[in-house]
Amino acid sequence: MAQISFEHVSKTYPGGKAAALTDFNLTIKDGEFLVLVGPSGCGKTTALRMIAGLEEISGGTLKINDRIANDLAPRDRDIAMVFQSYALYPHLTVADNIAFGLRVRGAKPDVIEKKVRETAELLELTEFLERKPARLSGGQRQRVAMGRALVRAPNAFLMDEPLSNLDARLRGQMRAEIARLQRLSAITTVYVTHDQVEAMTMGHRVAVMNRGTLQQLDTPRQLYDRPANMFVASFIGSPPINFMEGTLVAHQGGAALSCGPLLFPLGSHAQRLSAREGSKIIVGIRPEHLKVAPSGAGPGTLSARAAFVEDLGATLLLHLDQHGITIGHANMVDDDRDLMSIAPKLKALVDSAARVVRDDNVHLTVDPALILFFDPATGAAL
Amino acid sequence: MARVSTRRIVLERTTALVVTILFLLPVCWLISTAYKPSNQIFSVPPRLTFTPTLDQFRAAFALFDVAALVRSSVIISLGTTLLSLLLGVPAGYALARSRSRYSAGFAYFFLAIRMIPAVAALIPFYLMMRDIGLLGSWWAVIVFNTMLNCAFVTWMMFSYFKALPPDMEEAALTDGCTQMGAFWKVAVPAVRSGIIACALFCMMFSWNDFLHPMFLTTLDAKPISVALLTAYGTKDITWGTLGALAHFSTIPIVLMALVMNRYFVQGATNGVQ
Repeated sequence: MAQISFEHVSKTYPGGKAAALTDFNLTIKDGEFLVLVGPSGCGKTTALRMIAGLEEISGGTLKINDRIANDLAPRDRDIAMVFQSYALYPHLTVADNIAFGLRVRGAKPDVIEKKVRETAELLELTEFLERKPARLSGGQRQRVAMGRALVRAPNAFLMDEPLSNLDARLRGQMRAEIARLQRLSAITTVYVTHDQVEAMTMGHRVAVMNRGTLQQLDTPRQLYDRPANMFVASFIGSPPINFMEGTLVAHQGGAALSCGPLLFPLGSHAQRLSAREGSKIIVGIRPEHLKVAPSGAGPGTLSARAAFVEDLGATLLLHLDQHGITIGHANMVDDDRDLMSIAPKLKALVDSAARVVRDDNVHLTVDPALILFFDPATGAAL
Repeated sequence: MARVSTRRIVLERTTALVVTILFLLPVCWLISTAYKPSNQIFSVPPRLTFTPTLDQFRAAFALFDVAALVRSSVIISLGTTLLSLLLGVPAGYALARSRSRYSAGFAYFFLAIRMIPAVAALIPFYLMMRDIGLLGSWWAVIVFNTMLNCAFVTWMMFSYFKALPPDMEEAALTDGCTQMGAFWKVAVPAVRSGIIACALFCMMFSWNDFLHPMFLTTLDAKPISVALLTAYGTKDITWGTLGALAHFSTIPIVLMALVMNRYFVQGATNGVQ
């Protein structure tokens, strides 16, 4: 059981261009399942490895149970880690792999045997105990890696993208399994992933990171409903949110949003945003919040041509050409700059009953309460 | 798979056979020499049929203390191998895990040590050994060969450990190992085939080494490789005795190569499993 806290932690690599972590503050509560999520290179793995003691801390303090752990050796932290590569010991059998940590710590042979047996049963590995890792499938290896961590009942579990080498079906299954095991053991768990589905479904709280800084720490629901900035809004949610440029204008006594040829009444947002009247604003609308308008074209509806339709079975993902609206991307990672050169299309996720086909003209509406607003200069939510 | 024509198979096998015979011929000649009566060794044309005799072996055993020679060879090659591994494996590991940008340069520097002509180092080394009183003993050869071999082992183990992802050692650290424990319990077993390949290189080099023990040992520490030369008498060359003695020089190393062949090929070509 442990509470882990980062206080103003930073990390710079010698010769590195940018800091891997900058003024990082985060407290992971005792017994919590916290997910660290972000694009590659955002510093999430660095933060995790700092907890394990595998990465030196350049500045700030890392505390485990209120004890400064900056210079504590990994073995003195009593933390178990599951690696992305699983890092199983190839020369040892499954049983010896699971028992390794107990043996090193000098547990009694009968205790080791009992615990290994229990762990193997829990993870359905009993029949593979005498095999070497080379003779296991990917899913079985993953479970051995889990077993090696679980058998010890450590202070905390650290997991570094443990599911990224599994196929989609197995990944879904293990996602639920890991979450279940964590709730069962109630051991503090820090889970690193770049997959927002894992982040949304597994953790009590999610810390979204980008470029070495913490963007937002919140429950999955809050991240989706109330993202702190454009980065979080675009990272959480699939397909990603649509951003459009608009202006706040006075309209029939309240504020309205003018977005190219469109004019949305702002409803409940009006009072909050009234001070920004006349200035530019970034509007975020999630694709799943766009609905096909029952009454066809009209005020507050968006008319567009479906340039491309992806039939996902239950839903249709429409890629829409919308002339006159500036559609933008949140500033994500450097790799995504290439994407920005392609003219972005407005995306809408609609019920497949809508039967939209390519080149159809579609009329869409959105509940104004679900629209998100961002400051164009800072990207922060308004 | 493409179909291979019969003609091609015949051609390939014939070539292989010819090459094998070419390589085996001197060995067969040497072995047969040991079983021929002295007067038939140089008969022209060479005779394929002869009455085998063990006379040459009797002569060899009468002239040489074969057991002592083999013992010297074993001590020198095992000593060199153990010492080279003991120094070279941790050194290779340290270089592979070093964050210094010069680490690869260092590894190649060690390889360069192996490349220098050993004779160049032999004279100063001879004087050094004389001054510390080790000249003439097994130790002189073991230390000299270790100097050369351990440099090679360091370079080879550097590339093995470099290819080994550090995840496993990190897992061992979080599992409760010390840095040393992670090295011994996880990293070393993971590169086992590489270590065996290194050991075989060291063994073969030291066993067959002639030049260094020739200069550095005296009579009672002489290995079999040096003793072979003493079959060259002052008046004549006793080819039969040489052939008989050569059995004890080649058979152990051939046996070892046969037994360890699997590891050798695995270690020298596959890298990390």
